[in-house]
Amino acid sequence: MQKYKKILKPFIYSVVFIFLIIISYRSAKPRYKPENFTDIFNDFSWLGNWPKWLDFPLMQPLNSGFDWLIVEYGLFFEGINNFLLGLYTSMKNSLVGLPWPIVIALVVLITYFASGRKTNTTVMVAFCTFFLGFLSPRYWDKCIMTTCIVVIGMLLCIVVGIPIGIAMARNKKVRNALLPILDLMQTIPSFCYLIPGILLFGLGAVPAIIAIFVYAVPPLIRLTDLGIRLVDKEVIEASEAFGASKKQTLWGVQIPLALPNIMQGVNQCTMMSLAMVVIASMIGTRGIGDEVLLGLQQLNVGMATEAGIAIVLLAIIFDRITQSYGEKIQERTQQKKKI
Amino acid sequence: MKFLRNLILSFVFAGAMSLTTSANAACKVHLGDFDWDSANIHTAIAGYIIEKGYGCEVQSTKGSTTPIMAALFDQQIDIITEVWRDNLVQLIEDNLAKGTIIELGVNTPSSTQGFYVDKPTADKYGLKSVEDMKKPEIAKLFADPEAPGKGRMTSCISGWTCYTINMVKHKVYGLDEFYTNFDPGSGGALDAAIAGGFKKGKPVFSYYWTPTGLMGKVDLVKLEEPAYDQACWDEMTKVVEDIKANGPDVYKDTCACEYVNMSLTKAASTKFANNAANKPIIDFIKNYTVPTAVVNKSLAFYMDESDGDMEETAKNFLSNNSMWEKWVPGDVAKKVKASL
Repeated sequence: MQKYKKILKPFIYSVVFIFLIIISYRSAKPRYKPENFTDIFNDFSWLGNWPKWLDFPLMQPLNSGFDWLIVEYGLFFEGINNFLLGLYTSMKNSLVGLPWPIVIALVVLITYFASGRKTNTTVMVAFCTFFLGFLSPRYWDKCIMTTCIVVIGMLLCIVVGIPIGIAMARNKKVRNALLPILDLMQTIPSFCYLIPGILLFGLGAVPAIIAIFVYAVPPLIRLTDLGIRLVDKEVIEASEAFGASKKQTLWGVQIPLALPNIMQGVNQCTMMSLAMVVIASMIGTRGIGDEVLLGLQQLNVGMATEAGIAIVLLAIIFDRITQSYGEKIQERTQQKKKI
Repeated sequence: MKFLRNLILSFVFAGAMSLTTSANAACKVHLGDFDWDSANIHTAIAGYIIEKGYGCEVQSTKGSTTPIMAALFDQQIDIITEVWRDNLVQLIEDNLAKGTIIELGVNTPSSTQGFYVDKPTADKYGLKSVEDMKKPEIAKLFADPEAPGKGRMTSCISGWTCYTINMVKHKVYGLDEFYTNFDPGSGGALDAAIAGGFKKGKPVFSYYWTPTGLMGKVDLVKLEEPAYDQACWDEMTKVVEDIKANGPDVYKDTCACEYVNMSLTKAASTKFANNAANKPIIDFIKNYTVPTAVVNKSLAFYMDESDGDMEETAKNFLSNNSMWEKWVPGDVAKKVKASL
């Protein structure tokens, strides 16, 4: 039986491979093919350059599949679009409407409590926030737009990413199935999903949020998965010995102990979201990325660098808040361990 | 030790490779290319002829208008085969005066740019000119989801001069009260926004131009604007250049009119053109001209049949047209034909 299985797999693979070659030969345009199929075995010149008939036709089906998606599921995407856009515009308008000192005060308050009343971090974040508008008054509103997009993207990542990460940690099959998808999401060039994003959602903030999700959710999923799997076996055994159900083990033991790792994932997720927001300015997403793009297109080095510094400051703010929140949680869980 | 030996060997190998490649080519030409498809086609055709016919090493660099033009002025790029001269008047005249570039005549004799609306919407609401657009109920059709109460016109990319021209036009025509002059960020995004609107059957209001591949696929109607007038255009150009240099706050009331039915030109850097060895290539580029209809046909081939292969499109143009044989001396034409 074992031996039989060993032969079966390579056999299936080679059948699929030959099938693909036949498809590509059949669908190639006549002018690219030798007149007779048997010519291939008489004239071996095709071994020099890659022959045109050996070209798997993937572009056309992808195009028509995409058109079908737009026509059949237009309403579905419209719904997602309206929901995310409503969230974004209401958040943006309320923040842009607030006087800037109040926004700074809000950021300071959030930092102060998230970091567990650390004065150093709070002062640093307050300083960075002030500097955003201080660099150029134009940047203030644009930074708020960028922040809104990043925050919504992050929320989407957390809501979807953490449950998937937990599912991966608990089930090996799920993990094996999802890992290649995560690899794909992380390596496929962003323009491959930015341009279809415009076709589905139109120009603006929503394709950027979707792009953030695709680009930034993999590290969160990976770190959640890793964090839960790294929880000591003994601790879990102990909890089981005390009669905890699977659910109780998860919520009472695994997740709290994995929280520092999960927070690290959230932190990475934020940083990648910010990177993507700059790229998204190329599909008409308003925000601080605009300024960099404009500087590049006008060959204005000063303008691009100034806006680049603003993005770094924004990154520092996000990083310090999430990082210090993570540290606070870590201190708490370690204290529990000591007791 | 083994690592060191391999390292040295690989350097020697790389050196030998670069020597052999540069030894075959008698000359080197660096073409500038832009991020829209008609420019890509001209670059591909000219590049193919220079490479196969003149035996030169051709390198082409693709980018946004400003960086590529700057590289031409800086003598890093030798030739550009499609320059939207009227959009860049000031810049080009300054550099002609400075002697950094020379112009090589007209490429595509006529091309159009302007404000377009999709045909179904234009028919339904009787939209013919920009004046017809100035109604709140019309603006609602093109609603900008990020600016409540306003419509959206997808405009040029903010680095292109036409973005500023459109901004001034919006103000002069009074469109700015109803529409945002929306920067789509990149050429691909602008195309995708228009194509997406048509696929979903939504109203489209956009700046666009011909010759383009997309124009053959979608049905856009050009809106009438005040007729072109040289004095008016010059007055507007001054305001536009001022805004480009000092920001949108320096806007002054000006006159505005439609984009001129402009010719696309070719240009070369002075350093390249003054080199006597390059004279045959300069002569060829001077002769190079393709009418709009043929460009559109090539673009259609590129979109539908070439599988996105520009070289294939250039070969298709060269095999199905004979106009190019007049651009080059007989022996060059023979060499190009032999390679097809």
